[in-house]
Amino acid sequence: MSRSDAGDDDGTGAGRIPQIASRLIAPFVDRSVAERLLISVAAILLSIAVGFVIVLVSGRIAECSTAAWTMPLTGIGFCYDPVEVYLVLFNGALGYPFAVGEPGLFNPDWSPFNLSFALTLSETTLLIFTGLSVAVAFRAGLFNIGTQGQLVVGGLATALTVLAAAPLLPAGPIAGVALIAVGILAGAVGGGFWGAIPGALKAYTDANEVITTIMLNFIAANVAYVLVLEVFRAEGSSVVATEYVPEYAQFLPWFFPGSSDFALVALLVGFGFIAGLYYLVEHTSFGYDLRTSGVQAAAAEYGGVNAKLTTVRAMTLSGAIGGVGGAVWVLMSEGRWMASVPSLGFDGITVSILAGNNPLGVLPAAFLFGLLKGGALEIGFRTDVPTELVGVLRGLIILFVAMPEFFRMIGRYTGLGSRGPSGPDAGGSGGAEPADDAAAVEGGETDA
Amino acid sequence: MRNPLADVSIPVLDDLIKSDYVRSLVVGTVGVLGALLVLGTLFPESVAGDLSGIVFSTSTAASTARLAAPIVLAGLGGIFAEKSGVINIGLEGLLIISAFVSVYVSSVVGIGNAVLGVPAIWVGFLGGIAASTALSLVFGIVCIEFQADQIIAGLAVWLIALGLAPFMSTVFFGGVNTPNLGASVGWKYSAVMVVVATLASWWALNRTAFGKHLRAAGENPKALDTVGVSVSKVRHAGVLLSGVLSGVGGSALALSIGQFIGSGETMVQGKGFIAIVAYLFGNYNPIGTLGAGVLFAGLDAVQIRLQQLGYAIPDTLVQTIPYVVVILVLALVGRTRLPEAAGEHYETED
Repeated sequence: MSRSDAGDDDGTGAGRIPQIASRLIAPFVDRSVAERLLISVAAILLSIAVGFVIVLVSGRIAECSTAAWTMPLTGIGFCYDPVEVYLVLFNGALGYPFAVGEPGLFNPDWSPFNLSFALTLSETTLLIFTGLSVAVAFRAGLFNIGTQGQLVVGGLATALTVLAAAPLLPAGPIAGVALIAVGILAGAVGGGFWGAIPGALKAYTDANEVITTIMLNFIAANVAYVLVLEVFRAEGSSVVATEYVPEYAQFLPWFFPGSSDFALVALLVGFGFIAGLYYLVEHTSFGYDLRTSGVQAAAAEYGGVNAKLTTVRAMTLSGAIGGVGGAVWVLMSEGRWMASVPSLGFDGITVSILAGNNPLGVLPAAFLFGLLKGGALEIGFRTDVPTELVGVLRGLIILFVAMPEFFRMIGRYTGLGSRGPSGPDAGGSGGAEPADDAAAVEGGETDA
Repeated sequence: MRNPLADVSIPVLDDLIKSDYVRSLVVGTVGVLGALLVLGTLFPESVAGDLSGIVFSTSTAASTARLAAPIVLAGLGGIFAEKSGVINIGLEGLLIISAFVSVYVSSVVGIGNAVLGVPAIWVGFLGGIAASTALSLVFGIVCIEFQADQIIAGLAVWLIALGLAPFMSTVFFGGVNTPNLGASVGWKYSAVMVVVATLASWWALNRTAFGKHLRAAGENPKALDTVGVSVSKVRHAGVLLSGVLSGVGGSALALSIGQFIGSGETMVQGKGFIAIVAYLFGNYNPIGTLGAGVLFAGLDAVQIRLQQLGYAIPDTLVQTIPYVVVILVLALVGRTRLPEAAGEHYETED
C-alpha cells in the first residue's frame, strides 16, 4: 500500500536522510506509519521555511529605525530577524535551556520547573485530550469538529458538579481526590452526551456530522454562556464565569511555580488516556469494529458489525474524552468555568491530523502545539514580531499535512521515493510507475 | 408525509424554484412576515406591533443587507465549489482574508485618492476579491493537483487566514484591528450585489453549458471526462468562483463599516460556516441560499433592534436559533444530498 521512501533500503546517496530516519523508525512501526511520520516532519519543516519567508517579507514592509537583520551579500535590511524568532519560539517555550549569544551551549541557571515550560506542558496536557477526542472519531471514519462544544459542555458540567458536591464533604485532601474524580466523570458524561447527539443524528437520520458538530459548537457556546450569565454567575465577577471550585479540589502544581496552571498529575492522566485508547483502538473487539467501520463501512456491516451503534458509540466516546479535556481545563487551568473558552477543541483537530489519528502520535503532536503556544508568548515579550505568526504556522502545518501527495511527488521528482530494482536513476519509465500506483491506491481509498 | 407548504403555487417563482423544499421555505417565510405585518397593523400597541415596526423598518433592512452579504455571497461560492465536487469548508478563511485586504488596500491608496479614476474604497474592494481568489487558487491546487483531503485543506485555509489577517494588521497598523477608514460602502450597494450575484449564479448553474459541466464534475466526473471536458479545469473554475464570490462578501462586510476587526474570531465571526449552512438549507439553489441567508441575517438584525428597545431576550439565545433550526432541518425534513463525487479526487484516465 505505501509507496513511501520511508522503509526503502535501495542504498543510494540521494536518499540518505530519509533512510537514516527510516532505519531508526523501522523496527517500531510499519511502513505506512513511517511514511506518515516523515510527511508530518516534512510538513513541519516546510511550514517553518514558509514562516521564515513571511517574517522576512513582513519585516521588509514594517517600519523600524534600525534593521534587526541584514541579509548576507545583499545588504538589504529587515525589521524582523527570522532566526531570532524561531530561537525565541522554541528555546523560550522550554524556558531558555540553551544559552544563545553567551559562552557555553546550555544555560547553567535553567531548571525544568520554570514558568514558560509549565505553560507549554499545560497546553500539551489539554491538547492531549482534545487531540485524542478527534482521533478516536476519525478512526471510526467520523470527522468530529465538535470537540470544542463537547469541551465547553463537559467543562461546565464539571464546574457545576464540583461546586454542588463540595459542601457535602469535609474540606481536605481526601475530599479533593473524590471531587476531582467526580468532576472528571461529570465532564465525561456532559461531553459524551454532547457527542452522542451528532452520533445519533448521523446514524439514524444520516445528517452530516461535519455540519451538525459545527452547529453544536455554536449552540454549546451560546447556551452555556446564557446559563452562566443568568443562573450560575459568581457574585461580583466582572466576567461571565462560575464561582471558583475549592482549592483542594483542583489539580495542584507540584514542583512547578504556583502561578503556572500546570499539574504533573493531569499530564500523567493524559498519558494514561493515550495508553488506554491505544489499547482500546488497536487491541479490543470494540476497537476492531471502530476501525473497520471507519475504513469500509459496508464490509463492516457485512461482517456483523452494527455500524449505526458503532457510530453512536464512537461519537459518545470522542465527546466524553473532549469532556474530560474540559474537566481538566476547569480543574487545572482556570479553577472555574469561564465564558472565554480557548479554542482547544479546534486545536485538537490539528493535533489529531498531525498525529495521523494515531493515539500514540497525539503525544508528540500535542507537545509541538504546546511549544508553539508557550513560544508565542515569548515572541510577544522578546521580539517585535506579532504573535499571530504562530497561528499562521499552525494553519500551514495542517495544509501541508493534508497533501501527502505533494511530498510523494517531490520524493519521486528528486529520486528519493523510487524503489524496486530500477532504483532512482530509472528516468521516465520509473517515474510513470509510481503514478499508476498512486491512482490505484487513490481508487481504493475513494471506494471506502 | 407531504409538506403542505410545498403545494402552494407561486406564479412568478414557480418556474425558478423546482424543489418542493425550497418552495416551502420561501412560502413559510413570506407567510410569517405577512402575518406579522397584519397583526402589527391591527394591534400597533402590542409586541407584534413593535416587532412589525422593527422588521419593516429601514434600519433593519440596512443591517440585514449588511449582515446577509457575506453569508449569501460566500454561500453562492460554496455552491459552485461543491457542485463541481470540491467541498470548500474554508469559506470562512476567504471571507477573513478579503475583509482585511479590502481595508488594507483602501488605506494604502488613501481615501480621497483614486487609481485610474476608481475611488480608493472600490480599489480596496477589488483588492479584497483578488486576495480571496488567490487563496482559493491555492486551495484548488492543493485539493485538485495534490489530492489533499478537502475538509482538512479547507480547515487549513480557515486557520491560515485566521492567523494571517491579524498578523498583517499588526505589521501594518500596529494592532489586530485596523483604524477606521472614515468612509464606507452603503448597504444599498451590498443589497444590489447580493441580488445580482444570486440571479447570475442561478442562471450560470441552470442555463449555461458551464453549469452543466460543473454539475457533471460533481455528480459523474467520468462521464464529463468521456465527452472530452477536463474535470480538473471545471473544478478549478468552481473553486475560483467560490473565491471571487467570497471575496465580494468579505470586502462588502469590512467596507460597509470601513474597518477590519481582527480580535478573537475576527469580524467574520463564523459567517463562513453559516454560509455553508445557508446553501445546504437552500439545497444548493442560489435563490434558496439567498432566502436562508437573509433569514439568518434578518433574525440577527431584528435581535439587535429588540435589544435596543429593551426587550430582555438574551441576545445569544436568539443567535442560537439558526443553528438549532439547521440541525432540526437536517434531522427531520430535508436530508441534503451531497453531489455524488464531492470530496473525492478524480484521476484522469489517459
